[in-house]
Amino acid sequence: MSLGGFDVQVLRENGFATEEMTLNMGPQHPSTHGVLRFVVRADGEIMTEAVPDVGYLHRSIEKISEKVGYHGFMPYTDRVDYVAAMPCNQGWAMVSEKLAGIEVPRRAEYCRVIASEFNRISSHLIAVGTMGMDIGAFTPFTHALREREHINNLLEELCGARLTFNYMRIGGVAWDLPPDFAEKALAYIDRFEPLIDEYNALISFNKIYKERLVNVAVISAADAINYNLNGPNLRGSGVDFDVRRDIPYSIYPELQFDVPIGTGEEGTVGDCFDRYMVRIREIQESCKLLRQCLQQIPDGPVLAKVPRKFKPPVGDAYVRVESARGDMGWYCVSDGSEYPYRVKIRTGSFTAMSIIEKVSRGLMIADLITVVASFDLVAPEVDR
Amino acid sequence: MRDLVLSMIADGGLLAGMPYSLAAPLVMVAFGALVVFGFVLPIAGVTSWLERRVWARIQSRIGPNRVGPQGFLQWLADGLKNLLKEDIIPSAADKWLFSLAPYLVVAGFIATFATIPFTSSLIIADLNIGILYITGVTGIVVVGVLMAGWSSNNKWSLLGGIRSAAQIVSYEIPAGLSVFPIVLLTGTLSMQGIIRAQGWAPWDWFFFYNPFTFVAFFVFFVAALAEGNRTPFDIPEAESELVAGFCTEYSGMRYLLFFLEEWGNLYVIGAIVTTLFLGGWQVPAFTDNQTLLTVAQFGTFFLKAYFFVFLAMWVRATLPRLRVDQLMTVCWKYMVPIAIVNMIGTAAWMLLVPEALGRMVQIGMTVGGGVVVVVFFRRVRFHLRRANLQPSDYYYSPII
Amino acid sequence: MAGYFANIQETVTSIFEGMSITFSHFVRRPFTVQYPDKIPIPIQDTLPFRYRGILEVDLEICTGCLACERACPIDCIVIEAKKDKQTKAMMLNRFDIDIAKCMYCGLCSEPCPTGSIHHTSQFEGADYSLESMLRRFVKTPVAAYKPSKGPETDPEIVPFLDRGLRYLDDFAKPGGSSEPGGADAS
Repeated sequence: MSLGGFDVQVLRENGFATEEMTLNMGPQHPSTHGVLRFVVRADGEIMTEAVPDVGYLHRSIEKISEKVGYHGFMPYTDRVDYVAAMPCNQGWAMVSEKLAGIEVPRRAEYCRVIASEFNRISSHLIAVGTMGMDIGAFTPFTHALREREHINNLLEELCGARLTFNYMRIGGVAWDLPPDFAEKALAYIDRFEPLIDEYNALISFNKIYKERLVNVAVISAADAINYNLNGPNLRGSGVDFDVRRDIPYSIYPELQFDVPIGTGEEGTVGDCFDRYMVRIREIQESCKLLRQCLQQIPDGPVLAKVPRKFKPPVGDAYVRVESARGDMGWYCVSDGSEYPYRVKIRTGSFTAMSIIEKVSRGLMIADLITVVASFDLVAPEVDR
Repeated sequence: MRDLVLSMIADGGLLAGMPYSLAAPLVMVAFGALVVFGFVLPIAGVTSWLERRVWARIQSRIGPNRVGPQGFLQWLADGLKNLLKEDIIPSAADKWLFSLAPYLVVAGFIATFATIPFTSSLIIADLNIGILYITGVTGIVVVGVLMAGWSSNNKWSLLGGIRSAAQIVSYEIPAGLSVFPIVLLTGTLSMQGIIRAQGWAPWDWFFFYNPFTFVAFFVFFVAALAEGNRTPFDIPEAESELVAGFCTEYSGMRYLLFFLEEWGNLYVIGAIVTTLFLGGWQVPAFTDNQTLLTVAQFGTFFLKAYFFVFLAMWVRATLPRLRVDQLMTVCWKYMVPIAIVNMIGTAAWMLLVPEALGRMVQIGMTVGGGVVVVVFFRRVRFHLRRANLQPSDYYYSPII
Repeated sequence: MAGYFANIQETVTSIFEGMSITFSHFVRRPFTVQYPDKIPIPIQDTLPFRYRGILEVDLEICTGCLACERACPIDCIVIEAKKDKQTKAMMLNRFDIDIAKCMYCGLCSEPCPTGSIHHTSQFEGADYSLESMLRRFVKTPVAAYKPSKGPETDPEIVPFLDRGLRYLDDFAKPGGSSEPGGADAS
């Protein structure tokens, strides 16, 4: 494997001298979901290898935490994955609370889950929309984004921002739900659920779309576990694992929800179509979760008393959160001062990049785009 | 056309006293220039504006609506902007072929307008091999696209160019084969001859003539879309994969010429489909006034052809694109066998089916077509109901 | 063989269905808001109260406690506050906010005791010069605000203080206590 070097192999088959082409699917590309680069070796249309090259969006976020402290790091966690920022906030809040042994009020936990599930829906809308756009259908993308705008409006009323929310604080959340939030949110979910069926009829069950996705890049369950895939990618391969249910945190034990897994309904288990349908079904499950939360939410405070100069005891903590892109791990080492000694974030997209090289052998170049879209990679998560 | 020239010579004026062999080419060239600059190029431009508006409404947006009333002059602004852009030719590209390619593409598409019948008397050249000429001359487009892709000295452009060449060459076959049933029915290749063999009423069109021509229509339309590099077959210019495919390295007006060809080609496709299957300019003889009749014929032809332009835009907004191998599978495994079956079926129909039964089938199929349209609108209503729309969510006017 | 015709049939039906959905969108209202000219009310009035737009400081009620400067994670606030030796009053000499650096996180407005630094609903800050991105709120040195023991009586200050306290009241209170804002409890 050589990264970018000119390595011409001459294949002689049937007396024809053929060469492999080395292509650069560069950091500037309409559909690599951010700045990602692939060095592709292809024999005509069929790839022999596609090596990813990451690091174009590295911003040293983990190092910045050592300068700004625990409270100040919260807005930076939004930028770790700006498409699904609430679970990132929650991860950081949870790891700081675990270090210092702070208990979060119940109403705050409900607010956190409501915010996270809304964000999960909007992140999955982007995922399925861009998947359609990369395959060539431009309309489902705009419809998905139109629905996402409504969610953004709701979250804007909740916390004042539409993308980088900075909603959660160590010990709870920063703002309580506005007075009319619950009824607006329920009205939105009522209006939104039939639109998922319309979206499915438009694109998910379209024959051409299914032909592009079914049996492409089949990842077996064993491979998915070995290569450390997470979230919808893992569940698309048939592995029944969801951090919210299996390593429960927050108030998820009190909520009823199913975990959709890939069943190979149109092709093989673990193909791109399974991963895509897992995301569509997760949107529906999040709607269910939101209804329960909005009805069950108790009264009470939404923020625990946390000192402004937050000095957790010496030690370390690791917390797992189910972000939209999978199992996000937050590891923090504290040396007793106001500033963390080391923060390490483990994201689902980063590990998904590692399997692309294996899965892309024998695929066509058009399929590489499909695979990258089906893993729902976002470049900020890969590079942090 | 001959009558028109003769009457112009006899009338006096500019052409008085000229021999026919001199006057006829002059009139043809003048008419051709008029058609190209007065009709083809503006139509291609307006189609680009219309496509953006149609797309936008499908996608819950508003298209361009600022430049001119409802954004109607947007295409002029785009054209002017592109003329003023820097003309970049990559240093490692083959300069002559790179510059020549857009012109070949545009020439291939404009040359088809020589045989498009606008009305019963307005046609630049009513060749007796009309439809064959069109099929042949659109082949120049392949040469242009391949030249563009290869001379750009860019691997992505090369991929786009080669894919496009493979695609267009392959889809010529079902397109040609689907024309054969019509040729069998009329016995002529001339465009005016084919139109005159049909009538103005839907049950007289070849579309509803027999089930084989019905299927031939769809095969032809899909093959024509593939030849025009339109979704679901726009792999050569796949925006999400190859940035712009074979025209990645082009900028400014050269780039716009490729797209001019694409939009103008939509009209050519519409015109050919109208001629072959939908009865062309045929209108009922409702008046003796020749001018009024000509205007009605022109309007009918234009509206029918433009409906297919609209249909192509609508299809492009709805469907994803096929991968290259799937494209080839569709062509060779599905469309070619179906087209051959159509051809044989039409020949058999001509021999075996008596006149009266054929007439009944025509009327039956027209009614069937109406039923399909009704079912379509019922589905549309179902989707609108399911989306739980408030009265304020409806907006019927295209003006916004 | 059966798969062959099933493929064709499925293609035709799914395309028919998809096209009926897209056709139904022709009669639906587009979602676009034609900002800034074709909107019925100014866009700032449609934004929620909590909207985190460009920062603004009401110097009339700024106490010079520097809590916002300490809380800012990106060092976009620069304050110079010195106790004047003669008058024993805290003088604010400089209060600069660099709105290009600011990441609109809201961490500065939480610890403010009076709500003088707050987010407005302005977001149209684009300009041609980089210098305009540095908002200098102190033109001439002013005295900082000393909160009075009882309710504020100065009529010039009351509207600012009311607005500031309403802004702070919106934040979550730690532990459900009735103390204003998320001010430090240590």
